[in-house]
Amino acid sequence: MKKLFVFVFSVFVLSGFNANAQCNAETLSTQCIPKLASGFNFLKSYKVEKAGKEYVEYSYVFTKGTQYMINICAPGQNSDGIIVTLEDSDRNKVANSKVNEQYISAIAYPCNKTGIYYIRYTFDDEASYCGGSALGFKR
Amino acid sequence: MRILIAGLFFALFMACSSGNKSEDQALVDALDNTEMGDQAISGEVSEILHRIPSPLEISVLLKQSGKKYNGAFLNSPDNLSRYNTNYKRALNLGIYGTDLGYTNIYEQSQDGIKYMSTIKDLANELNIGQFFEMETIARLVSNSNNLDSLLLITTQNFNAINHYLQSQNRSHLSVLFLTGGWLEALHITCEVAKSNPDNAQLKEAIGGQKIILENIMHLLSFYKDNDKNMASLLAEMEGLKQSFDKVIITSVYKPSTFQVVDGVMIIKDNSSSTVEITQGDIDNIRTSTQNIRTKIIS
Repeated sequence: MKKLFVFVFSVFVLSGFNANAQCNAETLSTQCIPKLASGFNFLKSYKVEKAGKEYVEYSYVFTKGTQYMINICAPGQNSDGIIVTLEDSDRNKVANSKVNEQYISAIAYPCNKTGIYYIRYTFDDEASYCGGSALGFKR
Repeated sequence: MRILIAGLFFALFMACSSGNKSEDQALVDALDNTEMGDQAISGEVSEILHRIPSPLEISVLLKQSGKKYNGAFLNSPDNLSRYNTNYKRALNLGIYGTDLGYTNIYEQSQDGIKYMSTIKDLANELNIGQFFEMETIARLVSNSNNLDSLLLITTQNFNAINHYLQSQNRSHLSVLFLTGGWLEALHITCEVAKSNPDNAQLKEAIGGQKIILENIMHLLSFYKDNDKNMASLLAEMEGLKQSFDKVIITSVYKPSTFQVVDGVMIIKDNSSSTVEITQGDIDNIRTSTQNIRTKIIS
């Protein structure tokens, strides 16, 4: 009987968490802007929320001769579990922020090839990820 | 006990219902979208709108390549009273936005305040004036030490406008706003290149706009069947496209390398692209751009 009570209670609590869990991706993406390295001008902020999706993707036209920076912000101390992958217009890999099992929170990309680039955020396991990201440029 | 079991089933049912809610909503949205063109195309439009580069990049290029400020290239704030339709307002909001970025980059505070005021008026007429706090911006414009903050706040405002317009099913205005901004940046670059015909960097910057033009034309094509103004603008862009047709952009991919310095992954891009563009191409692009812009600003 007690087990049944615990189970019913757990179902209510968990479903409540599921419905009410708030992801402040908007806030996190805004918080990411001042974390762009010195000299970079802000271009875009991106919401990075797993929300049942396998990945979140944005695109941007990068220009040869311009250096871009993409950073990631998460609620904790670092961006563990959120990986950013940069691909060119033909889906060739340019960068991936997971290196030797470490998650790098910022990528600086001095572009040498003008074109559309895809900025894809993936998640390393089944956990519910919530984060933000900012894109900046400098010449 | 029966009550508890019933409660358990109820709880499970509610949990499952909660999970399906988004699917149900998606179905309702999909049905609604069949009647609301702007909603239906907003996903793809939003994706493309996101990728159009900021005109600020061009202004930074011009300044860093040593070109002097020239206010004569810009659309005069005095033209504001000419813009009596939302079509013209949105296009010229984009044009004035680029002009504001140009004046800001060159730290021309007097001109900057005029453009900011004009933008605020246009934005009010489009019911998006709430995104500009004039007092804050005027304070930032008047002090050159605040340049970074000024660029940040204006970029954030324009991004917020785009998000808002899309969320309000007014994506067509967002498309016009970005089209106007892009066209103005191309116009300024062409005018600067006119007096610097040997500047390879400027030539390449102009040629590279071929990629953006393709995306903008794709955006406009979504609206051509339901909006005569946008169909007309698309037709004019077709003329500009013909001026770009001889421009050849060649890309070579080579895997990049990287190193991590102070927690930042610094990429070494081993790929490359080249732009083949003649002076004749640039002259044609400048003329086509000027023709379209003149119709928009007059």
